[in-house]
Amino acid sequence: MSERAVFDRLTCVLCPVGCELEVAKDAAGEIQVQGNQCDKGLPFAVEEVLRPRRNLATSVPLRGTAARMVSVRLTRPVPREMLFPILEEIAKLRPEAPVRRGQVLIADVLGTGADVIATRSVTEGVKP
Amino acid sequence: MAGQIETCDVAVIGGGPAGLAAALGARRAGAGTVVLIERDRTLGGILNQCVHDGFGLFLYKETISGPEYAERLSEDVARESVKVETGAMVLDLAADRLLRVNSRQGYRLIRAGAVVLAMGCRERTREMIEIPGTRPAGIFTAGSAQNLVNLQNLRLGREAVILGSGDIGLIMARRLTFEGVAVKGVFEILPWASGLERNVRQCLMDFAIPLELGSTVVEIRGRDRVESVVVAKVDGALAPVAGTERVIPCDTLLLSVGLIPENELSKRAGIELSPLTGGAVVDETLMTSVEGIFSCGNVLHIHDVADWASFEGFAAGERAARFAAGERAAARTVRVSAGPDVRYALPQLATAGRAGVEWSFRVTRPMRNVRIEIKGRTSGRVYARKKFARLLPSELQKIKVREAVEEDIEVGGHE
Repeated sequence: MSERAVFDRLTCVLCPVGCELEVAKDAAGEIQVQGNQCDKGLPFAVEEVLRPRRNLATSVPLRGTAARMVSVRLTRPVPREMLFPILEEIAKLRPEAPVRRGQVLIADVLGTGADVIATRSVTEGVKP
Repeated sequence: MAGQIETCDVAVIGGGPAGLAAALGARRAGAGTVVLIERDRTLGGILNQCVHDGFGLFLYKETISGPEYAERLSEDVARESVKVETGAMVLDLAADRLLRVNSRQGYRLIRAGAVVLAMGCRERTREMIEIPGTRPAGIFTAGSAQNLVNLQNLRLGREAVILGSGDIGLIMARRLTFEGVAVKGVFEILPWASGLERNVRQCLMDFAIPLELGSTVVEIRGRDRVESVVVAKVDGALAPVAGTERVIPCDTLLLSVGLIPENELSKRAGIELSPLTGGAVVDETLMTSVEGIFSCGNVLHIHDVADWASFEGFAAGERAARFAAGERAAARTVRVSAGPDVRYALPQLATAGRAGVEWSFRVTRPMRNVRIEIKGRTSGRVYARKKFARLLPSELQKIKVREAVEEDIEVGGHE
């Protein structure tokens, strides 16, 4: 019966096997996953299809140094639809040097539970 | 005046993920003086501009960004009392391991007990793939675009087209989208994406950026600045098909069309290079055809994951330290060739009778349910066999032979 409407095909990225998962909804609207060779594939596929989470990385200009940038990322993935709102928050940042790797620049950004942290230390070239 | 010749046990050329690891590997294997020579002002190489995460999963057991990976590895190097020279460039390398270096202290000569090559790679350019058209501003390789955006805070343009689906191109499609640049599409001449699957998903599909396989840019238009590009479908021989041309207005074109190991110094030292990898021909100790000169990372062959470049660096550094201490390998008599569906296998040479050698390889095309076999060229005996549900040309894979091999072997695929 072709009651199943396949609405996504994806490659599981949890390990190097890379199972090709087929996600479908049955007649009752339940999500079905095929192709996973282990138990981890199921929750991965369901989350990836219903509410994918992503990390986010960018860089921001740093005050107090000569045209230096500091790269930043989130401490954990957030729902994908939060990426652009978070980018707007990060765009407002003008951190002052020195910064150290892992320093929290925005805690719990937009209530997502993820922090925006610096991913490199900038000490050189800092004006005394 | 460069009268005095300085000496060191191991000299590492290049301070990226492979070179940093090589310096560490050499120190940990007992090398007394290790000099790490880096052309840039800071260590880390290309990692510094790779602000995205996904690094370190194998080396640090967590996923971190490129700059964090570089900083952590550099801190390890600092703890091991490696003599780090940034802003220094090796001008010449001789087969007797004499380095001519232009450094902050001026022109110097350094004689090394062993040398590790870790110079990395560079990008293929528009000229190398010969795209016809005008020569306006607005054409960038993906890596230089990454440098301009991430490290120099520059805006490249408003509307971009990306040619080639290498990982840096895919990463930059997402990066430009974040910066407010409209990415009109990624065009790939081959029938499959050349970057990693997860990057196709997370960098293109997430933002509904079209990926057009089997198509390429056939003309660049615009006088001072790119005004449009013409794309066309290609046939089985990768030649553009007349009548399929389409004009795409844009002011920026990014190229992600391959990487080339940067072996100018290797050539000066007379090192034999492989036409398949673009890097040195090495044995299982990662030693090149010139005694005492070792190679690792992207200067040896292109890696898709920085961690593997580092692991190769650790191994090359350790072997270099052992060579500097007087250890000599037996004759390398086993030749390794690429069989069906395998583009290359590395190392290309091995010592007869050595057990436990691991080979890296890449396949020529996407395949399913493949058996990779290492087979004796004369006996036909299968020394190792590994099954893969799926193999992609974008993924560097490994296969190990547990027993000793005495004859020439071939690494081949069987679907």
